[in-house]
Amino acid sequence: MNRRDLLTAGTAALAFGIRPVFAQSPKEIVIGALFPMTGASGQTGVDAQHAVNTAVDVINSPHELDLPLGKGVGLPGLGGAKVKIVYADHQSDPQKGRAEAERLITREKVVALIGTYQSAVAVTVSQTAERYGVPFMSADNSSPSLHRQGLKFFFRAAAHDEMFSTAMFDFFETMRKKGHKIETLALFHEDTIFGTDSANAQTKLAAERGYKIVADIKYRANSPSLSAEVQKLKAANADVLMPSSYTTDSILLVKTMSELGYKPKAIVAQDAGFAEQSFYNAVGDKIPGSITRASFSLDLAAKRASVGKVNAMFKARSNKDLNDLTSREFMALVVLADAIDRAKSTDGEKIRVTLAATSIPGENTIMPWKQIKFDASGQNNDADPVLLQLVNGKLITIFPSAAATAEPIWPMNL
Amino acid sequence: MLTAETIVQSLVSGLLTGLIYALIAVGLSLIFGLMDVVNFAHGEFLMIAMYATFGLVLWLAIDPILAAPLVAALLFAFGAVVYVVIVRYAMRATANRGMVQIFATFGLAIVMRGLAQLLFTPDYRSIPHSWTEGNNLSAAGIYLPMPQLVGAVISILAFIGLYFLINRTDFGRALEATREDAGAVALVGIDKNRVFTLGWGLGASLVGLAGAVMATFFYIYPDVGASFALIAYVTVALGGFGSVFGALAAGIIVGLIEATTALLFPPALKSVGIYAMYLAVVLFRPRGLFGSI
Repeated sequence: MNRRDLLTAGTAALAFGIRPVFAQSPKEIVIGALFPMTGASGQTGVDAQHAVNTAVDVINSPHELDLPLGKGVGLPGLGGAKVKIVYADHQSDPQKGRAEAERLITREKVVALIGTYQSAVAVTVSQTAERYGVPFMSADNSSPSLHRQGLKFFFRAAAHDEMFSTAMFDFFETMRKKGHKIETLALFHEDTIFGTDSANAQTKLAAERGYKIVADIKYRANSPSLSAEVQKLKAANADVLMPSSYTTDSILLVKTMSELGYKPKAIVAQDAGFAEQSFYNAVGDKIPGSITRASFSLDLAAKRASVGKVNAMFKARSNKDLNDLTSREFMALVVLADAIDRAKSTDGEKIRVTLAATSIPGENTIMPWKQIKFDASGQNNDADPVLLQLVNGKLITIFPSAAATAEPIWPMNL
Repeated sequence: MLTAETIVQSLVSGLLTGLIYALIAVGLSLIFGLMDVVNFAHGEFLMIAMYATFGLVLWLAIDPILAAPLVAALLFAFGAVVYVVIVRYAMRATANRGMVQIFATFGLAIVMRGLAQLLFTPDYRSIPHSWTEGNNLSAAGIYLPMPQLVGAVISILAFIGLYFLINRTDFGRALEATREDAGAVALVGIDKNRVFTLGWGLGASLVGLAGAVMATFFYIYPDVGASFALIAYVTVALGGFGSVFGALAAGIIVGLIEATTALLFPPALKSVGIYAMYLAVVLFRPRGLFGSI
């Protein structure tokens, strides 16, 4: 290759590099999605991608679904523009999350962001979005401190861990009234913002409602061994074991419990690992009767046709049923796209205003929620959680009684 | 809550875990001792071994423990190929040789992790059933988890085998001689490249055994090697770079320190004990407990 060839090739490469910016048609609304697609939580990100793509399909193609933008094609408010997602892999790293959010906003010119699974990453992403005046829709983060950062561009349609934990303690109350003895609790939580916030919420609720925490085990995420931790849990032998763990640690926790002969009287988990199919595939047979909080229940399909249809669409892509996480990821994009549609604009501030004015009744979602309405901090306080119990290898809704399809089995081990 | 029972249980768990840490680390130490190359893809070798075990269990429907020799053989071939195709060339670098070697194996680690993501997906796998599972021994409230117990026994057997291999065979003598002076052995007719190739194979097959053992009780995913590799490096540094039996002693020490730290302090601090000890070794005895350099 001589110098002239190099120059020609270089210019051509440069032109190609620049082209997408010019070629970006106004008929496309670009939204950035940040998830962990590689690393310890890689599978969660891959599933999230299927969920978000399902939502894109619902919005962009004609369907007959009782959801915002569930009928017709594209965003009518913007002349039928289609939604396009640019994905970014933050590798579960808050600093990579910040850098990727910045890249999506400045280089990919996204009009809004959604994400991020790990709450620790949501902190940096939401702050970056705030700085650029771009709305951030938290899809599947559950730390309550996120909506207390005082950000204007932060929105979360789903519940946070205080709401989830409150549901757990309400459930304990109901079981106590039925004559079951629940006095002592053991907390088991990982050491990032998710586990810490969850444990703080549970500690506060336990104090308020008169439960004794007999073990509070904080451990390092992705630990090579949990023997020592499980030994402490076993020694405490609380009435309820309450784990807040991502998938890897949840699998190791259950395996180690069975190795060290610890059969907890009951497990009520803060979701995360306990929401994942791969967790139940690996160790589900060891913990029949374990309970997890969730914001989604497939049982709802019996009452609401859209739930079953969306689940079928998702399953065709991922070969899995919708779960707590993927349902929230799906819903987040629908709610965001609906606000962009009503804003009739791609301007961040205008989208923020319509997002803040969102009012979607529960029937028009796939969730067991009352409605979607954001308070001043961007949190939806009407995202009522449910509790699911593992019975015969399936997750069955047991709480609250309005949504329940079966009576809870309590305790899981005597 | 310091009862005799919890203390004994902690020590037992620490010992079993430590023997497995030793088995993971020894391959790393062996290769370093032989040719002064730190294999930064060691954790990924472990990951490949775990996937290989998982694959063999699914494909041949055999027990993971029976698959262990097959996995060790596969990893032997893999290690030898890595030496012949990559490390051999990295060692020929004329400038900055240390850096070239580091980046060659580090790059290999990233490639292996990426390929695993692509081929196996980031989903978490786990071997559904093995005879070790559920067959836990327990006496007086002390539990001996069968998977770790079998792992510890395999580890001890591997070290015994290694002892005989190094001290009683021609190959072992060639290995020792090459590590003493790689240039001089050529004069007595030992092919240095052949010894290095076999050394890499041997190191990889040991981590292969460890992977098969780990697969019986640990989840498997593309990044699984990372946290164990870190412990392996600490173990090798503690035992002394290049010392095979230093790795055994150091593995046990690391396992016991981890278990006792978690017993006395909040479990979140359990790795602090390991790294505090590591720091002390680096400061006061930089060549490690049994190291010769």
